This record gives sequence, C-alpha cells and structure tokens, in this order.
Amino acid sequence: MASSLNMNGEDPIERPDQIRGIIGGLERYNPQAAEVLEAYLAQQCEEKFCDCNANRALLKLYQLNPDRIKDEVVTNVLVKCMTQFPSPQFDLALHLLSPAHSNPGPNSSSDLAEAVGKLRALNAHLEGANYAQFWATLDNDNDDIYADLTTDIQGFEEIIRVRIAQLVSQSFREVSVSVLESWLGLNSEEEVTKFATETCGWKVEGGVVQIPKNAENEAKKTEIREDVTVDMFSRVIKRSWEETA
Amino acid sequence: MSAFQQGMAPVRAMGDVDSDVEEEALVADYKEQVQYGDEDLGELDQAALAQAADDLQARLVQAAQPLDFQATLETKFQSYDNYCSLFHYILNSEGPVELEPPSYYWAWDVIDEFIYQFNTFSTYRARIARQGNNEEEAQILREAPNTWGCYSVLNVLYSLIQKSQITEQLAAMKRNEDPTLVAGPYGSKNLYRMLGYFSIIGLLRVHCLLGDFSLALKTLDDIELNKKAMFARVMAAHFTTYYYVGFSYMMMRRYADALRMFSHILIYVSRTKNFQKNAQYDSITKKNDQMLALIAICVAFHPTRLDDTIHTALREKYGEQLLKLQRGGPESLPVFEELFKIACPKFISPVPPNFDQPESNIDPMDHHLSIFMEEVKTNMFSPIIRSYLRLYTTMDLRKLAGFLDVKPDELRAMLLVNKQRTKQVRWTEGGLLEGEWVNTSDLDYALQGDLIHISEAKMGRKLVDWYLRNLSRTYA
Repeated sequence: MASSLNMNGEDPIERPDQIRGIIGGLERYNPQAAEVLEAYLAQQCEEKFCDCNANRALLKLYQLNPDRIKDEVVTNVLVKCMTQFPSPQFDLALHLLSPAHSNPGPNSSSDLAEAVGKLRALNAHLEGANYAQFWATLDNDNDDIYADLTTDIQGFEEIIRVRIAQLVSQSFREVSVSVLESWLGLNSEEEVTKFATETCGWKVEGGVVQIPKNAENEAKKTEIREDVTVDMFSRVIKRSWEETA
Repeated sequence: MSAFQQGMAPVRAMGDVDSDVEEEALVADYKEQVQYGDEDLGELDQAALAQAADDLQARLVQAAQPLDFQATLETKFQSYDNYCSLFHYILNSEGPVELEPPSYYWAWDVIDEFIYQFNTFSTYRARIARQGNNEEEAQILREAPNTWGCYSVLNVLYSLIQKSQITEQLAAMKRNEDPTLVAGPYGSKNLYRMLGYFSIIGLLRVHCLLGDFSLALKTLDDIELNKKAMFARVMAAHFTTYYYVGFSYMMMRRYADALRMFSHILIYVSRTKNFQKNAQYDSITKKNDQMLALIAICVAFHPTRLDDTIHTALREKYGEQLLKLQRGGPESLPVFEELFKIACPKFISPVPPNFDQPESNIDPMDHHLSIFMEEVKTNMFSPIIRSYLRLYTTMDLRKLAGFLDVKPDELRAMLLVNKQRTKQVRWTEGGLLEGEWVNTSDLDYALQGDLIHISEAKMGRKLVDWYLRNLSRTYA
C-alpha cells in the first residue's frame, strides 16, 4: 500500500486490527471507543511510534462529545503530532479542537487552552526550522509547563533531535559544529561529535560535520523535456480520419 | 527524474487522452438536461397538483426545495422534523419503500438541501449565542440541543449509505463487475441507490465543514473522480465535489492535488457556461470565484504553470492579489486572509454553543483561519528566497543574508523551510489520500557550510498541449 509512504506518521505498520476496525468503520463514532483509542495513544507514547490517523479519530470523538475530553490526552496527541514535523499533522489535529481551546477569547481561564497555546508556539519553531529557538523555549527554566506537557512521550527530545538531523542531512553537505550544536539543543562540541558520529554516522573534522551524499543534498542539474507520445494526438488523428471518411 | 518531470507538468494532465472525448459527451449530456429540465419540472408541478397534498411523492419534491432565506426558527425546526420523518420512513419501513425519485437530480437536491439547512442552522445558532441579545430564541435553541444535531445528520447520511450498499456497489463497479449483484433489496432501487451515492458526497462536505479534512477525502475512497462518475451527471454535485475535495487537499498542504481539482472543474464550467440557466449560474459564478481565490493561494504556495483559461480568469478576477501573494513577505498576509475568508466553506461547530457565555463562542472560521495562517507565515519568505536563488549558481549565505537584511541564522531557517516544502505528497492512483512524495520545484539547492549550491532545472518548451488546443480550436 502506498499509504505507508503517505504523510509522516499517518498509517503506521504497528496499528493493531482492533484499531483499524474502529477508525475504518462506524465504531469511530461510538463514545465508548474513546477508551480504546486513549489506551492506544498511551501505547504510542511508550513505544515511540505515531498513529496520527487513529489519534484524530480520538479527537473527533472529543469534538462530538466534549464532556469526555481529557486535557492530558489532547496535549499528548498534539505532542505526538509535533514529532512528525514538517507535516500537516499538527494542524490537522488542531482543526479538530474546539475553537475555545485552540483560539480562546481574551477572558479564557482554561488550562487546556493555555497548554494548546504553548504547544502551538513550540510547533511553530519546528515548522519554521527555528530549531535553536525550539530548544530555548523547551528548556526555559522559568516555565516547567513544557516539561509537564512532554513528560508522557518517551524519548521526546531524542525523537526531535534525530528528526532535525535527518532534515539537516537533506539540505546540507557540510555544516559547522556550532550551528549543529544549537539546532540539536546540545551543550558542547563533544556532545555534537558524539551524536553526529554515533547516531548519524557522519564524520566530524576541524569543527565541520561532513554529511554523506544523498538524493536530497546533491542539487543536481536536470533538464526537463516534454515526452511526446502518439497517444496525445490520437484525438486529432481520429478526427481527421473521421472527416475524410 | 520522472517524479521531477511530473512535478513540472501543466496542471491539466496530458496523459488523459480519453478525457476530452468523455468531457464532450458530458457537456452534450448536460446541455440536454438543461434544455429539457424545464419540461420535466412542468410535468412534475402538474403531477403534484393533481394529487393530494399529503401524497408521498409531493413530500419527496418538497424535501428538495430550498427553505426560504428568511425562514423563522419555527420553520427551521419544522423542516428538521420533516426531514426526520421522511428519512425515517425511507430507512425504517418494512422493506424498501416503492417510490421512484421524481427526477435524476432529486436525490442530490435533497441531500444538498438537507446539509445546507444543517449548515445554516448551526451558523445561525452560533450567532444567536455570540450576540447574546435575543434571549427568546436563545431559550428555544437551548432547550432543543439535538435539533439539527451533528450526530443525527451524520446518522442519516451513514444510514443511507449502509442501506443502499452503495459502497459495495461502487467497489463492484471498480472491479468491472455487475453492481446489481451486491446491491441487495434496497440498493437495487433507484431511490436508495441515488440517496446512498449522494450521501457519500454529503459526508465529504459535512466532514469538511467540521474541519476533518483527511476524513473528508477518505469518505470518497469508493468514488472514482472521473467524468464517468455518477455525480458528474448532476452539475451542482460535480461542482460541489471538486470544491470540497480541492479545499481539503489545500488544508493538507497538497497544493498540487488541490490545483488539479480546481482546474479540472473550472475548465469544465467554462465550457458549459454558455447554456447555464440564470439562477443556477449565479450560484456557480460565486463558487467559481471562490475557487479562483483558492487557486491563487495554492499557486502562491506551489508555483506552477496554470491552464491558459484559468490563468486569464485568475488575472482578471484577482490579478492584484495574486501579485502580492507571489511577492510574499508580511505584506502578503492580509491578502491570504482576505482570499481565505472569501473562499472557505462556512465552517460550523459540531456542538451547540454556550449561550451563557456569549464571548466564549468563537467563530469556527477564525479558528481554522488562524491555523492556516500559521503555515502561511512559516512560508512567507519562500518567494523572496526563490527569486534570489534563481539568479546564482553559488552564493555565500552571509552575502545573501546581507541582501535580505536578515541574520544568517534566520536565512538558514528560511532556506530549510523552503527546501522542505518543495516536497509534497501527490496523488498518482487509488484513493484520494494516497500519493507519493515528489519534488515539486524546478529550483534545488544544497548547503556546504555557508556556501549555497543552486541548480535550476532547465525547462524545454512545452508545445504539445498548446498545439493540441489550437488545433481543436481551429477545427472545432
């Protein structure tokens, strides 16, 4: 199925049959299904995979049954979506929240609305490739709300770091250690060197990280030509045949 | 580099050889419908008059009639009850009811009107709650939270789909098998088959109105979007389907696919507009303009060559806005907002508003717009970046940062964003959500430290499309 190549984290192979049954049929509207989907989300958080499609089914149930909303489940869904950057996953989840939670009015005193606002700010840094700001916001000592919001997601920082490294490898052939240090949220040249060599398998020489060639970071010159086939002219030919006949 | 080539193909698919022939047949078919439509209606009126008012056939006709724009709350409640009892009768009688749909487009009209009333009712209810100055109506609405409720509307649509076994029928058709074998006692009746079919399109619309764009597209899994599709015979259905599919694609950042949808339908409309009837044509013109606005947005995100007809119409209607969008930067933001507001569906909230706290009810449109604008802001410097990079084959990052008057760090982020967004999921075959990752830009670059290596794909001239079009124009 091509769908596994579709959006990031959309239809993971880890999805069990029970979940497939729920999100593929009318069971997705059954308020009781929320419990199953909540447990599945907890499993995703533990086992470090992501099923945004199933998580959206959960948000949809909350959308239709607001009395069932569990704040920490909503924020966990958003944090899981965030790890898929850059992708529309986070936005697609936001669209399913009540406006009162994602765009609260001036007098809102909802904790969930505040948490969603914080996560939106964090996600904007990732989507905008402002990785240094992302880490700065996350590590802000005056604000432990981020630590609370991400605590359920196993290996959150590591997942983000690996994803950033992957994105860097798609744009860079060489990158300075200091730039990479700020992007990966690491604190010393040694940590960067360790991460680059051990996790990514890159070489580090004289303050520069060398990234092996791949299809993305080559920027090869190409020429696009038009492929012309007889088929394209079949209608014209057919018509001229009909007119003479 | 075949993916790359596809990336640059004009929006109108070239490989679709049969498509023009089909389209012509369809145009002719539509022309016929329009010409004979009046007579049909005349007969219907007479038939309706001849029979008693409580006749079922008359109720069927009634269900497809638009509600008066200024209908009172009471009328809206009444209309909801009418739909409930009609659908209850159709769905829960013993065995299929023996009724023929009054016309080919009746089923579409009913589903369309049903959802339209649901949509306007929800909007109205939200407005009453937000304004908080009509206590009398607020009280009525507060006491009837389930009237025009989201669950009951979804329930009707899903039930019609299930009863008619339309999903099974469509799957059989896809496999080139006889759909009547799997249609069952209900689905083999015209009434059920058509209601079931158009309920699928109705679901697409409802999901989109609620902001669930991927589920909206998923709903259409069994319907193949081509000119042989059943919806294509009903102009309004054809039009609606492409609008909502295109919009959903846009919200999923699949701009190439969105453009393909909008272009297809706008070209089709431009071919049929000469024989549209006036009333219908007005509503189509409005949607037409909305789709042009959406095309402007998509093209700003994903620069591509448009079909000549569309390009001309776009420049006429939104020429100035398009220029601003394509220039990017903070000045483009209000234009994105303006066009989005003109062109988006009338989003609704699935649950009743909070009548006790008027200020807590935020317009769902503002909600969806703010999420969309987030992505617009992320991308707003991409056009500027692209226009500079096109001028060089190598460039120093610090020098370019100087030109743009930004810090090197900021420029690195912009370069990463622009490069990441050139990859898009794009449909090739199968369900609407399927697709492959393709590179959609002719501009590519990679960084070696602070040195930007830039490569631009050279475009050979594209002549076949132009040549064919002029041939058919000359000989038509």
